Amino acid sequence: MSFYVIQTIMGILGSIGFSILFGVTDRKLLWISLGSGAGWVVYLVCVAGGYGMFVGLFAASLFVAVVSEVLARILKTPVILMLVPMLIPEIPGGDLYYTMYYLVQRQYVEFGNSSNQVLVEAGAIALGIILASYVAKFIRSFRLHMPGMFQRGKKEGIAGN
Amino acid sequence: MMKETDQKTWEEPMDWERDGSRYLSSIMDIGELLLVHGAEVNRVEDTISRLCGAYGFVRSDVFTITSSIVASAMAPDGTTITQTRRIKDRDTDLGKVELVNGLSRRICENPVSAEMIQEEIRAIRDMKSISEGMKLGMYMLISSSLSVFFGGSWLDGLAAAVSGMVLYGMLRQSAAMKLNGIVQTMMCSAVTALAVSLLVRLGIGTHPDKIMIGNIMLVIPGIQLTNSLRDMINGDMISGLLNMSEALLKAVSVAMGFAVILLVGGGG
Repeated sequence: MSFYVIQTIMGILGSIGFSILFGVTDRKLLWISLGSGAGWVVYLVCVAGGYGMFVGLFAASLFVAVVSEVLARILKTPVILMLVPMLIPEIPGGDLYYTMYYLVQRQYVEFGNSSNQVLVEAGAIALGIILASYVAKFIRSFRLHMPGMFQRGKKEGIAGN
Repeated sequence: MMKETDQKTWEEPMDWERDGSRYLSSIMDIGELLLVHGAEVNRVEDTISRLCGAYGFVRSDVFTITSSIVASAMAPDGTTITQTRRIKDRDTDLGKVELVNGLSRRICENPVSAEMIQEEIRAIRDMKSISEGMKLGMYMLISSSLSVFFGGSWLDGLAAAVSGMVLYGMLRQSAAMKLNGIVQTMMCSAVTALAVSLLVRLGIGTHPDKIMIGNIMLVIPGIQLTNSLRDMINGDMISGLLNMSEALLKAVSVAMGFAVILLVGGGG
């Protein structure tokens, strides 16, 4: 248990490090660290519940993506600024390392397994992000077609992606 | 005709042939700034076409991939202007992306003259990003925290901080030499792996793999790989493929750098 607490804290520290490295240095750091920690907790809960890695990563990245879509609207910043640092704990760096390690060691069976795993993990994360961003888009275009609810309505239209 | 340079706000130009291209060029500068500092392809296209709309172009077609922007805009009098930008080096700075995004929002609501845009763009460009010392600190923080995150001990975290320092120094030095990107990544990861195996020999850190994972997160394109899949699912096939092949090539070059040390040292 205590390992997971330490792991979550370390994930948050990594997120903070990357956000500062990417030029985010103001109050958004607080939101980013909260979101990234919560995202990793979602993953840990899913894995502890027996749902496996794929579902865990999918749920965690979906959660993080939803949080960053919402926060980006509230704080009026680009989504990517919240999303990229928050996703750091989910990034499959470890497995990418082992994939390369097996390749270098010429253990081709393990190499095949772990490279498959990396692709599946990256795919799960990407799927989570995509789902969240499409829901956000859907909500926006839904509001565009409800007259009176959204002032800028017609002018922007659906063309503005 | 009034003197345009005195005007702070935008007015519909008389001569689209001449002024249109100046405005489009400023709009392209904004798009370029976004793309260079790590905004998504999607956002760049969206921003450029919105800005074109705000400046009175009746039609705009924008095509963006990670290394180039092509935009064609048609003025109300039928003049069509096309400009392209080639993006060679990218350097993620999301703080600047936010600033540029704010700028383009403001311009969309209240178009200003081309000189004003240029001034604002220059201000953003000249803005200092974080200091070198801070960057070094972040490299150390990221490598040590992530090596503990991936299951290393505290001592491994310490070793990762030291080798993260080595990695940062290498990256800085080799960037000054203007090497080819692949060679640079290879060299940096080789030196880092050497530092890690030396540290383990000296008794600082016990799991060389965990230490290296902490360092690798800084050079490995995990974010890029995820982004590339996102681009592809999103329908931006070319950008996705470009990003993905770039990420894979980078991963292989990191692996080759480590391989040299692993094969010579036998450890790992």
